[in-house]
Amino acid sequence: MGKSSFLGEETIALHSGYQPDPSYGSRAVPIYQTTSYVFESVDEAAALFNIEKGGHIYSRMTNPTVATLEQRIAALEGGTGAICTASGMSALFVTFITLCSAGDHIVSAAQIYGSTATLLKHTLKRFDIDCTFVSINDSKSLTEAIQDNTKLVFCESIGNPGLEVSDLPAISKIAHEYGLPVVVDATFATPSLCRPFEHGADIVVHSVTKWLGGHGVAVGGVIVDGGAFNWGAHGKHPTLTEPYEPFHGISFWEEYGPSALVMRIRAESMRDLGPSMSPHTAFLLLQGVETLSLRMQQHVKNAKQLTSWLLEQQLVTWVNHPDLPDNPTHKVAERLFPHGAGSMLCFGVQGGRNGGRAFMDALKLASNLANVGDSRTLVLHPASTTHSRLDDEAMKAAGSSVDLIRVSVGIESIADIIKDFKGGLKAVERMAG
Amino acid sequence: MITIVNKHKTFAATGGCAFDKDKPAVVFVHGSGLDHRCWALQSRWFAFHGYSVFAPDLPGHGLSAGEPLSTIEATGQWLVKALNTIEAPSIHLVGHSAGFLVALEAAGALGDRLKTLTAVASSASIPVSDLLIAAAESSAAEGADFMLRWGFGSQTHAGISAVPGMQPIAIARQIISGNPLATDFKACHNYCAGGSRVSEINIPSHVILASEDKMTPIKFGLELASSLRARITQIDKTGHMLPIESPKRTLEAIKAFIIEHTD
Repeated sequence: MGKSSFLGEETIALHSGYQPDPSYGSRAVPIYQTTSYVFESVDEAAALFNIEKGGHIYSRMTNPTVATLEQRIAALEGGTGAICTASGMSALFVTFITLCSAGDHIVSAAQIYGSTATLLKHTLKRFDIDCTFVSINDSKSLTEAIQDNTKLVFCESIGNPGLEVSDLPAISKIAHEYGLPVVVDATFATPSLCRPFEHGADIVVHSVTKWLGGHGVAVGGVIVDGGAFNWGAHGKHPTLTEPYEPFHGISFWEEYGPSALVMRIRAESMRDLGPSMSPHTAFLLLQGVETLSLRMQQHVKNAKQLTSWLLEQQLVTWVNHPDLPDNPTHKVAERLFPHGAGSMLCFGVQGGRNGGRAFMDALKLASNLANVGDSRTLVLHPASTTHSRLDDEAMKAAGSSVDLIRVSVGIESIADIIKDFKGGLKAVERMAG
Repeated sequence: MITIVNKHKTFAATGGCAFDKDKPAVVFVHGSGLDHRCWALQSRWFAFHGYSVFAPDLPGHGLSAGEPLSTIEATGQWLVKALNTIEAPSIHLVGHSAGFLVALEAAGALGDRLKTLTAVASSASIPVSDLLIAAAESSAAEGADFMLRWGFGSQTHAGISAVPGMQPIAIARQIISGNPLATDFKACHNYCAGGSRVSEINIPSHVILASEDKMTPIKFGLELASSLRARITQIDKTGHMLPIESPKRTLEAIKAFIIEHTD
């Protein structure tokens, strides 16, 4: 298995981080719906507050139910530790501000989730953290974008919305030459399909809301530390190597080494900013994680079959999935995703923007909504929703197009998904006259 | 803190407080393939409770420079030199696994500066299997794999962590990956003087044992305790990697004994 456990992936997903509690023998992970924890003594309390001992103080920082989810995801990814947050976006924000301060710089893949792009382009800019966007698999562009004040390289393992796979070994090699960690949003992949630490990445972030949770019932995020990055080697990350006054001048790197990043986030961001995950949310997301492997197998299988079927349809003008040879990163996907590059696909239909609208309105099984990674099939027509204010050229620049239909393929019977899509294409045909 | 020993830069963790030679010093010695970071959740408590902490990275380990030493005897002599640089008049020596063998070698040279001796998951000799040494020599990752499989107890293998959100096996793997495991294993395996060194110890001693220790089985720890006439603390549901695997209970055991023997 990975670097955290000798158990298999399916066993980790079901058992890691929890054993039946000694009081009642509860087989399922209990929901520790509590804000705080009774200290054994004043000395014990002081030791916990000064990080002399590990343990729970207040659920803004840690909670036993949330910790089980953290340990389980850390084990699935092969990381030294994890921190769950209120959402995937807060996980990204916390990661960026832990490694960057005012005056610092980030190099990011250009093809990323819209809200992440806004965070990097506008929100962090207000705090004097700058970002350069590059075509992440273009080594020359990546290298040229790195500045003296660059603190990290960011990408998504499968880019949204263009479904280009980031060449993590190549990106990591360049980043490490410059003393920079690689932060990967691996939401579209999950550790069931690709574990970025095995390909050189240093920090993994997920929106647990999506495939990890998998049931569309709770919003959450997670940051996982691979523990291999040498924060002390280049002097580029003073937040981890220099004394931190609130804890008597602690140097997280010297004290904790491979768990320095998680310890700093716990001590600073979770304490001061409070983007914590609720125990009930952790419980709901744990139910999803327990069946991750089974679900991902079915997601990928359905995505392959739907892709094959779409390619045969005359009314479908194009299909994009990393497993298809004409995807520009198909070769990278073959290397990093031997079991299939996820269950997101995009395709276009005849009739452009109106064709896309007709298709969407005719669907009965698939849900038209702005989410991905649910166990149910989800579809979105960006030209009539998220990107409706953009003209054709602007859509193209955003990595989209007016006829693009984004599909997050669910785990329903593939025959039923195809039947539903047939109905959609009939509507396109009727519209075309 | 940085000191110079044998002309090489030596890093020692001090638990987050500056080292003060006027306070009793608790010296933590790490075992094979490890470094000061295995003591992170023991050293800080002592530093904030009236003691000075000195948890060195042995040569070629962690943040210390120099070549790793190939014998326990040489490492013991090195430790004495390192302790001479800090001029502490009162020392409580704590060693994990092979780190205790190093402490045994150093003990005689420390004279009455040494107040107590604590063995954590150790014994008077620690033969290392040929399989383990061969694995560590052929591939650091393979050696680490063996050590992690055998070194941790069943709870940690089930992903249980005393520190919320952490995975102790992955943490230990990262620590081991940067340290000379094969050299340490061979030094440990070849060390034969433990029995005679133990017979020379006449200060209060403490042996902390782990119920699921496969690397220094508990019967050998009990023999050590008998020879030292030491206090015994047994920690259940824990393997050989006590300081990382069961940090709180390890600290409680260490501190109870040292406090009792602090003037």
